[in-house]
Amino acid sequence: MSTIGWNDNAPIYRQLKERVIGMMLDGVLKPGDALPSVRQVAADYQLNPITVSRAYQELVDETLVEKRRGLGMYVTEGARDKLLTSERERFLREDWPVMLERIRRLGLDVATLLSTDTPAPGVAS
Amino acid sequence: MSAVITASGLHKQYGKRTALDNISFSIEPGRIVGLIGPNGSGKTTTLKAILGLTSFDGQLSVLGMDPRQQRDALMNEVCFIADVAILPKWLKVSQAIDFVEGVHPRFDRSKAEKYLAQTKLDPNMKVKAMSKGMVVQLHLALVMAIDARLLVLDEPTLGLDILYRKQFYQHLLEDYFDENKTILITTHQIEEVEHILSDLMFIRDGKIALALSMDEVNERFIEVMVDAASMPAALALQPVSQRAVFGKTIMLFDGVSRAQLANLGELRTPALADLFVATMKGTYA
Repeated sequence: MSTIGWNDNAPIYRQLKERVIGMMLDGVLKPGDALPSVRQVAADYQLNPITVSRAYQELVDETLVEKRRGLGMYVTEGARDKLLTSERERFLREDWPVMLERIRRLGLDVATLLSTDTPAPGVAS
Repeated sequence: MSAVITASGLHKQYGKRTALDNISFSIEPGRIVGLIGPNGSGKTTTLKAILGLTSFDGQLSVLGMDPRQQRDALMNEVCFIADVAILPKWLKVSQAIDFVEGVHPRFDRSKAEKYLAQTKLDPNMKVKAMSKGMVVQLHLALVMAIDARLLVLDEPTLGLDILYRKQFYQHLLEDYFDENKTILITTHQIEEVEHILSDLMFIRDGKIALALSMDEVNERFIEVMVDAASMPAALALQPVSQRAVFGKTIMLFDGVSRAQLANLGELRTPALADLFVATMKGTYA
């Protein structure tokens, strides 16, 4: 039984979907792995089964997960590659411009940031 | 699929006091419905009417039956846990199981025993030796082993500690609920059930103040953390309530589109507790 904090900024089903995607990216869920049943997730996270089904359905629609009749949901073979591609695109489109802007505003040098493992502020290099 | 419960012009009068004021609603199968309202709003009266435990005026159909005339047949299909869940002190766990097995045609003894095996209850334990949480566990074991189409829960977790409360809903979702079953819950612990519910009914002064599916709730009601500069524009859209948090104003809007609100500040899904407070404003005034 896990206690999970949901935030109020996005629908729960989408947050649940993001969680599953996170587990795929981290390699916790690998291609061919079974997802826990809707009933199990609903019970563990205390969610309405409809909410869980909707999250799973979106994963199916994006072919990250496939339904095997009578068996349940499984991570598809190409799921991780597909995710890496789309997550990279999203990072470059949404996150990186914001980050770059902040780096510039703070007067940091990109080359220096990349050359040190942990750039320590205030330490002259 | 036809509705599990249909009420039309349901009315209940206690002397001069109107407990239920001509309410109409319907509940579809496969739903988990929260009936939520302040004390004395008519929640328990509604449940009693559904269970055939009180007389009433108007139309009420439960699983196609009239609770006034067909109570015995109805009880084969309905289970109920009351907020005052009392079992005789001298009763042993095994005797409770024997009893329900004897009186209920749809009771599955092995299911109840399997569930009890996961608890600290043993067959020879008497009710008087049980904590409040254990009594509820016993009740739940008996009720979940009955293949009933409708489960009615009146404040099922009242007075239980947080571990028992979580476990209660976990078992309900894991071992009992499926798309052919329907659960009707009344509770004051809104936070505890808000993600479990598929439908919401707010009741106030014997009237249904709001009856929506959770999808509809999330479409209709949006909370906005309004930036100071956007206050006049936000007020012009007539929020149903507002409160201040850390110098920001959080406003709740009913039926204003996301597009219209997006410029005013950060959008959020309101907690049911806040929605409840906004809907019930002035109840005790």
